[in-house]
Amino acid sequence: MQRVKNVGYDEDELYDEEDDVYEEDGDPGYTAEDRANFSALTPVVRAELEEAGVQASDQDIGAALWHYFWDVGKSVSYLKNSRTPRPQQQGVKKEDKPKAKSKFDEAAQKSAETAAHADMPPMSAADWFRDVPWTQIPPEMEGSIVPATPVIPRPKLLGGSSKLARLAEERRKKAVAAANVASPPVTNGASSSLDRLSRPKDTKENEAPVPKVEPKRYPIRKKREPTPPPKEPTPPPPEPEEEEKPDLRASPTSFGRTLAASLPHSRYTPSMTLKDMLGSGVTEDPFKGPSPDDTKLTNGCSITGNTGKTKQPAANGLAKKTEALKLGDSAPSAPSPPKVRSKGLDVPNLWAGGKSKRKASAAFVVIGHVDHGKSTLMGRLLLDTGAVSQRDVDRYQKQATELGKSSFALAWVMDTGTEERERGVTVDIAQHHFSTDSVNFTILDAPGHRDFVPNMIGGASMADLAVLVVDANQLESGMKGQTREHVLLAKAVGLKRVLVAVNKLDATAPYSWSQDVFQKVKNDVLKFLGEAGFAANDITVVPCSGLSGENVAKAPKPNEPAAWVARTDLTLLKALEQAVPSGGNGDAVKRPLRMQVADVFRGGITNPLSVSGRMTAGNAQPGDPVLVQPSGETATVRGVEVSGEPRDYAVAGDICTLHLTDIDPIHICTGDVVCDPSQKVPVVESFTAEIEALDSLLPQSVDVHLGRLHTAGSITRLVATVDDKGVTLKKKPRMVKAGQRAIVKVAVEDGVPVEGGEMVVLRAQGETVGFGIVERTGG
Amino acid sequence: MRLIKHSIERKTGAGSATLLPEEPEDMVSWHAYNLIRPTDLLRASAIRKVISESGSGSRSNERVHMTLTIRVTKLDFDPQAAQLHVSGRVAEENKHVKLGSFHTLDLELQRNFTLEKAEGWDSVALDTLKEAVNQDAKAQLWAVVMQEGLANICLITDHQTILRQRVEVNLPKKRAGSTDHDKSLHRFFQTTFDSLLRQLDLANPKPLLLASPGFTASSFYQFIKTQASNGANKPLQQLVPKITVAHSASGHLHSLAEVLASPAVTSKLSDTKFARETQLMDRFFELIRKDDARAWYGPRECELAVERGAVGKGGGVLLISNSLFRSQDIRTRKRWVKLVDEVKEGDGEVRVFSSMHESGRRLEGLGGIAAILTWPIEDLDEEVEGGDQDEPAEDGADGEGDADGGVDGIEGVTGHDEEIDFL
Repeated sequence: MQRVKNVGYDEDELYDEEDDVYEEDGDPGYTAEDRANFSALTPVVRAELEEAGVQASDQDIGAALWHYFWDVGKSVSYLKNSRTPRPQQQGVKKEDKPKAKSKFDEAAQKSAETAAHADMPPMSAADWFRDVPWTQIPPEMEGSIVPATPVIPRPKLLGGSSKLARLAEERRKKAVAAANVASPPVTNGASSSLDRLSRPKDTKENEAPVPKVEPKRYPIRKKREPTPPPKEPTPPPPEPEEEEKPDLRASPTSFGRTLAASLPHSRYTPSMTLKDMLGSGVTEDPFKGPSPDDTKLTNGCSITGNTGKTKQPAANGLAKKTEALKLGDSAPSAPSPPKVRSKGLDVPNLWAGGKSKRKASAAFVVIGHVDHGKSTLMGRLLLDTGAVSQRDVDRYQKQATELGKSSFALAWVMDTGTEERERGVTVDIAQHHFSTDSVNFTILDAPGHRDFVPNMIGGASMADLAVLVVDANQLESGMKGQTREHVLLAKAVGLKRVLVAVNKLDATAPYSWSQDVFQKVKNDVLKFLGEAGFAANDITVVPCSGLSGENVAKAPKPNEPAAWVARTDLTLLKALEQAVPSGGNGDAVKRPLRMQVADVFRGGITNPLSVSGRMTAGNAQPGDPVLVQPSGETATVRGVEVSGEPRDYAVAGDICTLHLTDIDPIHICTGDVVCDPSQKVPVVESFTAEIEALDSLLPQSVDVHLGRLHTAGSITRLVATVDDKGVTLKKKPRMVKAGQRAIVKVAVEDGVPVEGGEMVVLRAQGETVGFGIVERTGG
Repeated sequence: MRLIKHSIERKTGAGSATLLPEEPEDMVSWHAYNLIRPTDLLRASAIRKVISESGSGSRSNERVHMTLTIRVTKLDFDPQAAQLHVSGRVAEENKHVKLGSFHTLDLELQRNFTLEKAEGWDSVALDTLKEAVNQDAKAQLWAVVMQEGLANICLITDHQTILRQRVEVNLPKKRAGSTDHDKSLHRFFQTTFDSLLRQLDLANPKPLLLASPGFTASSFYQFIKTQASNGANKPLQQLVPKITVAHSASGHLHSLAEVLASPAVTSKLSDTKFARETQLMDRFFELIRKDDARAWYGPRECELAVERGAVGKGGGVLLISNSLFRSQDIRTRKRWVKLVDEVKEGDGEVRVFSSMHESGRRLEGLGGIAAILTWPIEDLDEEVEGGDQDEPAEDGADGEGDADGGVDGIEGVTGHDEEIDFL
């Protein structure tokens, strides 16, 4: 609830409080990790603080760090602020210091006065004081104001300028000095002003203590205060507001004075804000327990001591919220918006250092013809590896049965879109994570339908290896259709390893799990993959059944018809683990950042803008500035997630999510490139590519696919046909025949971010007509 | 447009024609854009601000209606606004305007204009004129070519395909437990629908074609249907039966060619010119795919083929884009006109493609000109290259230009460039 209420305000303050509450239940002591963090980060903070000329004890630094989850930047700013507080924070955090009478106190005084009258039946002040004599109030008419606990703490002024802050600071310093000398019994500015009020009103007496407690704030007042106009025998109760300004008016006539003094309270009313009234409208005993501010401060500081954690009364929940709101109020007044501070990690080294400890990770794209069971097989894999619970699948089963598609239940694990479920066809890439003992896998489930091949290209471009799913019973349809195209595209985007899952073996004819059928399919597929240019030892063929689940994660039992499988072949999962390529190279991590955006979405309330994709080069950590091409807008990385878990950094090869800040969502689209601002990806309108034609090519309109990017373009010129080694066969050919290699110039409609060496796929009229590598951009 | 009168001499082509624009502006401006060439004399009504100075030195501004004759120097065609601005120097003085001062004429509906060709009316100009005054019912069709996150709203007429509006929305991808995708898809449909309504004239609804890969178009059709049944928008309900849903390979505009060639759509399009053009283009591509030596493209190849009389009786077709005739350079234009005349003399067929149609665009990709020959000529391109090398002195400029790809279509290519903006 708090979270929702405080969106957009200073979240850190909020979380602190939550943490405090949680902390009470658990062990407040530090873990070893905490201590390690302390020792690591305290010097950093200290250095920062010294730079800013602020002194702080180790304990304070520790408290602040703990408080801000080891965020150095925030801790430093907190400490800085706590040493040189702004007026808003004065009331919040520095209650322990004797406080000068500030504007807030004045407001508090006002509100306390309002509070005193709040319980009265509705009547005007004039009514109330009707039969009270002007002076010398008889004792029986003296009211005693009973202090009440504030349910909502007294409000403060909103906003605040830096000028005001400076003034407040000066005032506070003076107050501290004064307090050191006189050490008045006043502990709380608010209560002191109220104390005065709760005494019977004596105007004469009232005049004296005010200057004593209150240091002289303005030169103007210095002049005025010691010399009150001698003609005023009964001056009106001196109000701080009045003292703020020089009185330029003539002294009032006695009649006027009488008039004015007759309604002492009515004078305040117009100057009181709604907040003043609201704030104290429901007070009961404002100063009974520790004030919420005190509580908060104690909580904040007690962290280092591990003791004396004040239990927050439940009734203070509301107060806390108000507190947080007030802190939020103060946020906009801060001169610069809170920036994400980088930890300044040396990611390449960290990454290289942790290499041996890390589990291998791999992403595979699942390809194949439509209805060959890709999604179902992956659903089965997730279910059997425990990444998806049986309960979820049972629920899908029920819902799918209602729609009359009970066999799609497992596919629904991947196909989450409404349209996908209704039509039983995967439309877009589905991304899922699961881990085995040795490897973290990311599944990219590609759509098989020919209309969604663009999505498949995008998915394949993010993968390390391909899993080709073939329906054992319908090999032919696939070979004419997307089995063929997908294999070629997998080759086109540079995938080397293919794992063939011969699916639906439980439904082979004439009897299920026919080994002959499997062998035949296996031979055909191997032949085709060989033709497509995959090396024989990069191919593994596995028989399985996604729907019934044999040989996916678990090998079939000996008494089943599929028992032969266990003797001859690996399970799909084992084969996957074996196919994982040995870790990425360190060079890519050191190169400038490149990440193509596969998706732009709202990552949650705290992360309004997140992008996901595969980092092809470089690394990123929170605080890094990045540039988005082609819009050329800059952004700051606010957080990094890999496999759905927050990380300190992400490196080349990771499929990660970056939470961005300082950028408008309209500047980011799927297919854009997030890159290093100092070495940005050029945005070009044409490029030269060496391609392999799958259909005859002329200068013509084509769809240009660069990973996730999908744009309209055209082949503007056939530069030359070349042979395998790149030797020019014929310049300016009339056409490029299917199967030939050629250098062509491609123009795209809008500028696209592209660099040499990227894989490009050209499609026309719904078919892939060529693929190759970008050689040169621009020109 | 209606031909009010013309006095064109058959032999020399000298003379003038007076035309009255009657149809919607996009037609008028398009035809006029193809008819009017720099150096032509154009006489039309105009409004000109006249500043007069009285004897006492006070100045007064006045807007004066007058008929002006200008010698055209520049044409500025804006297909999206369907406007044509013709600039030139005043060629006939009157009491308000001095000879030689500049004026830009905007052709207005229901007001005559007279055009006189400086170089005389050539055969292509006469054909264009004939086409312009053709009173046949003009087919018009709205089309939305879309995919998830992208919609191109365009108007298809006999002579041009005009992209009126492009809607591009970034859709978050599906993700478990989030309805963001569905929500933004709905928002995308709503945006597209709103933009479409702003373009359509619902009082007189034209057929609407929705094309996309996958289900996007049919989902959008459902969306429109829901909107029509929910709202009190009566005209919208009349639009619904006029919607055709078709399949396209992608949401980009160039997929429209494929859509328009599909039988589902050709049956709805009364216009056969476009269908014939598409057919011819398909046949040409088919031939070239088979590596048939009867299909050639490129300016010099085609010229050579015509020279040899290969584009003649019995199947010879010259496909030429009208952007070539819009060349600012008179010599270049003459060259193409000559080529067209030659083919016609040899009883070959000449098809002038509109550069603003999808088939025309495909032709432009090939350099604006292609030919299907009566008999195959092998290695025509090598001969062209060889020819270049043989006679570099004579044809140096051309040969050099050829090296960087189609000098011969210089003007055609510039025309292409200027139009790619609104693709």
